Amino acid sequence: MNRSQLDHILKAHHRDAYLWARQCCSFEDEMAKDVLQQSYLKILEGHAKLKDASKAKTWLFSIIRYTAIDELRKAEKVVSLMDSYDPIEIKEEVDGTNYEEIIKLLPEMQREVILMVFYHQMTIAQSAEILQIGLGTARTHYDRGKKKLKELITKVQIQEEYGK
Amino acid sequence: MENNEQLERFFDQMKKQDEQLEIPAFPEVKTRKFSFWIPAGIAASMGLAFLVIQEPAPIENVKPEVVIITLQEDENQNQHFTIEESTFLDTWESPTASLLTEY
Repeated sequence: MNRSQLDHILKAHHRDAYLWARQCCSFEDEMAKDVLQQSYLKILEGHAKLKDASKAKTWLFSIIRYTAIDELRKAEKVVSLMDSYDPIEIKEEVDGTNYEEIIKLLPEMQREVILMVFYHQMTIAQSAEILQIGLGTARTHYDRGKKKLKELITKVQIQEEYGK
Repeated sequence: MENNEQLERFFDQMKKQDEQLEIPAFPEVKTRKFSFWIPAGIAASMGLAFLVIQEPAPIENVKPEVVIITLQEDENQNQHFTIEESTFLDTWESPTASLLTEY
């Protein structure tokens, strides 16, 4: 695949790629821009190669995710899986329209699967490919994430009702 | 059929909010690959250096190290010494060779 074909693919997915980079960087804009730039550089320098053009989005999302993990590790913002496995209880009042804050309350893997499926319209199988986990594990994260997010939304709504 | 209405509504609203986000322009990524001029420059310098090394060194004039003293007899039977300087000796005759022939 030549440079202009890669440019074309990257441009076609640029908006989604930026939004995904932002979601992988805890919604931090500047870090997301850096991660995206680094991901593009990896691709255009040939460090990451696309074998199947039909999987371009999955491939791009996977590169962005791993680049974001590296950046978060450098910034010491990575939370271990054990720490993040249980849902975080809402201690402070969260605004019901602050979707980013609500989604950040989910454990990392659940958050990523849920975002890929509901926000980016991907399948659970594609999410599993991006996260490099088995389909069964991805399905478990999806089910748990859905349940937890529903609970969180309901809790925020109740908080808002009581707050009125 | 899954009941995901609540979640779908949540994400629809989140997407609407994200429409307000400023998406950065697609960056003009300059790859760190070597430019053509760098290897070309190295090759040209190496070629030039090779030519300089290959230039024939001037041949030094070798100092004469051999002195040939010959005793020659002219037509009047007078003997003369001729002295020559040379870098090499073509023929060499033992100073006592005449003794072998004469005796």
